[in-house]
Amino acid sequence: MRRYLLNRLGQVVLTLIIYITLVYFLLQAMPGDITQMYLANPRIPQAAREELQKQLGLDQGVVMQYLNYLKNFFSGELGVSFSHYPRPVWDILMERLPRTFVLFLTAHVLSFYLGYLLGRIIAWRRGKVVDYAATVVGITFWTAFYPLLSLVLIWVFAYTLKLLPLNQFIEPRLWQGAPFPTNTVFGYMVYGGGAVAVGLFLVFYAFLRGLKRSRRNTARAWLSAFAIIAVALAVAWRTGLLVYIWDIASHMILPVCTLTLISFAGTMLLMRDSMLETVQEDYVMAARAKGLPDTIVRDRYAARTAMLPTVTSLVLSLASSMSGGLVTETMFSWPGLGQILFHSALANDYPLATGALAFTGVFLLIAHFVADILYAVLDPRITYAGQPAVEG
Amino acid sequence: MDTLLKLDDFTMHYRTKAGWVQAVDGVTLSLARGQALGLVGESGCGKTSVAMSIMKLLPYNSKVVRGRILFEDRDIYSMSDEEVRRMRWKGIAMIFQAAMNSLNPVYRVGNQIVEAIVTHEPETSEREARERVASLFELVGIPKERVDHYPHEYSGGMKQRAVIAMALACNPKLVIADEPTTALDVIVQDKILREIDQIRRKINMSMIYISHDVSVIAEVSDVVAVMYAGKLVEMGPADNVFKKPRHPYTCGLMMAYPSILGDKHELATIPGEPPNLLDPPAGCRFHPRCDRASVECREADPVWRAVAEGHYTACHNPVEITGTWSEAVKALNGGERLGASSNA
Repeated sequence: MRRYLLNRLGQVVLTLIIYITLVYFLLQAMPGDITQMYLANPRIPQAAREELQKQLGLDQGVVMQYLNYLKNFFSGELGVSFSHYPRPVWDILMERLPRTFVLFLTAHVLSFYLGYLLGRIIAWRRGKVVDYAATVVGITFWTAFYPLLSLVLIWVFAYTLKLLPLNQFIEPRLWQGAPFPTNTVFGYMVYGGGAVAVGLFLVFYAFLRGLKRSRRNTARAWLSAFAIIAVALAVAWRTGLLVYIWDIASHMILPVCTLTLISFAGTMLLMRDSMLETVQEDYVMAARAKGLPDTIVRDRYAARTAMLPTVTSLVLSLASSMSGGLVTETMFSWPGLGQILFHSALANDYPLATGALAFTGVFLLIAHFVADILYAVLDPRITYAGQPAVEG
Repeated sequence: MDTLLKLDDFTMHYRTKAGWVQAVDGVTLSLARGQALGLVGESGCGKTSVAMSIMKLLPYNSKVVRGRILFEDRDIYSMSDEEVRRMRWKGIAMIFQAAMNSLNPVYRVGNQIVEAIVTHEPETSEREARERVASLFELVGIPKERVDHYPHEYSGGMKQRAVIAMALACNPKLVIADEPTTALDVIVQDKILREIDQIRRKINMSMIYISHDVSVIAEVSDVVAVMYAGKLVEMGPADNVFKKPRHPYTCGLMMAYPSILGDKHELATIPGEPPNLLDPPAGCRFHPRCDRASVECREADPVWRAVAEGHYTACHNPVEITGTWSEAVKALNGGERLGASSNA
């Protein structure tokens, strides 16, 4: 196992170098550089532009620039943005990351969970009304033109019904003179949310791990879960964070719902497909013969083995929640990573664009790595000891 | 005798694109407490369908056309889902044909058995259930420390034993063993069969063995039922059926298997193929393959009738064996028709 992990880690580093190389040269292949933005400006003479080029190091050869970049990258230095001069790239990324992360992580997790639950139900009730209804609705949203769908939802819920805030990720008037910067609040949301999630997991694991499901344990689990959430809310309220968290959360509802609606069908159909195979397995029939309740046969036998492929898709989508989505961020005026990537590429801001892409790449590689490990945890038949598991 | 299970003219069909497959047709049999029944027949004759019908585990495209199945005098097909769920494993347990695949690959074997116990006996604690699993493992001959292993870490024979342990977990009144040993080699097969038989006698459990292998059935059954093309053709005490078979199909089936202890004889195959159950032949379903078939056989369905004490057959021209079975076989190998002297 350790040898496998080390091997795999080596692969990750190698892939990363190749990836950064590709990204770097692709961006460099774009015509011109940032100084050309000043071509049409009569107040900046040719000499000044050349001086700027020299300052930014753009006069050196591409290969030289690349080697410099690589050296800096692996010493943790992403450089200074051209278009947001003189802010360091790392700074900009760190400013944008929490916003993107909170939004997309929520949406992906929600979409995955919804897809998983629905997929499980419709595979179990194949050919029934639920199956057709969920498939038709899911596919409809899946194929919907995303910008239009978001506009329609904004129009209905924010503009016409005025149930949800329109645009932006915060209400500026509320945040005037706020004791916290927005990113601090996002940070608390990430850490707090993570802590609550871990807490809930532990509680449910502790009470419902046993093979015997007693009503008392179920009640205990739910009570503890509510207690954890209540404590978290109380802490947020006492520290004065709650009102700001609520502000951000209410701005998140529309984009999260839109993202969930357009993407849950993917997981749902994957799960359905995978489970239609496992429901025919002999051990599912055996479980039924054992007189286990229907839901246990479905969840512990048919769905449990069927969820493996969906886990891959979840992990990969989590990784992409780091890079954000340009369309979502544009439609909902959400100042996240996707927008920064897009604008930096347009502006020939090599350090920022490369930095943003490299950043995403690192997360994607880590996610793959985690997916591999998760597989071994979920399926005991998979071993990474260097030889396949013995069958029979 | 105390009847545990009773099939009364049970008829079940499968709906397919080509039409209705008459998989089980008018099966009538009863099983007493503590009795072992052997159900024998070729592949596709409806043995497993009978087993699944008794467990009420039929696929969605099946239909019970006629008849009833009574377990402890209660009609399984008029029970509610919840009642059926409670009956399974506590009342009737099963050792599946594909024992290798009837364990969930991602759960520890012990847990799968504990799960069955605590589901049916809510008053049993998980620890008590674990202890029972350990003693069950001892009973079937798996080392106790294997309880917490995953199925893929077991050998084929161990999986088979684990599945048997699982079937016994809730002290069922009846265990249906559908080809319990087909996947194993002959030596292990024999050992496991004897073990099951011992356990059965010890705890006075009823058993239905299903197999295409006459020798397996002969060894462990009190009563034997022979099935052909969805119908029972002969049933009776094992000694009677195997020493003096009355139905030509039973004879054919026995001729097709070698006898290790008995005299050598040439193995004979039954000519022809089992009929297509979408459109089974009129009259006796065996008549196209039977060398004793008469006009009557082609036209009239033979009635199920007693030919001796507890021995039934459905045949217009039953075989009459006067001497021992091996003499009859010898005579046959000599070119004489089986039982030809006795019947006109």
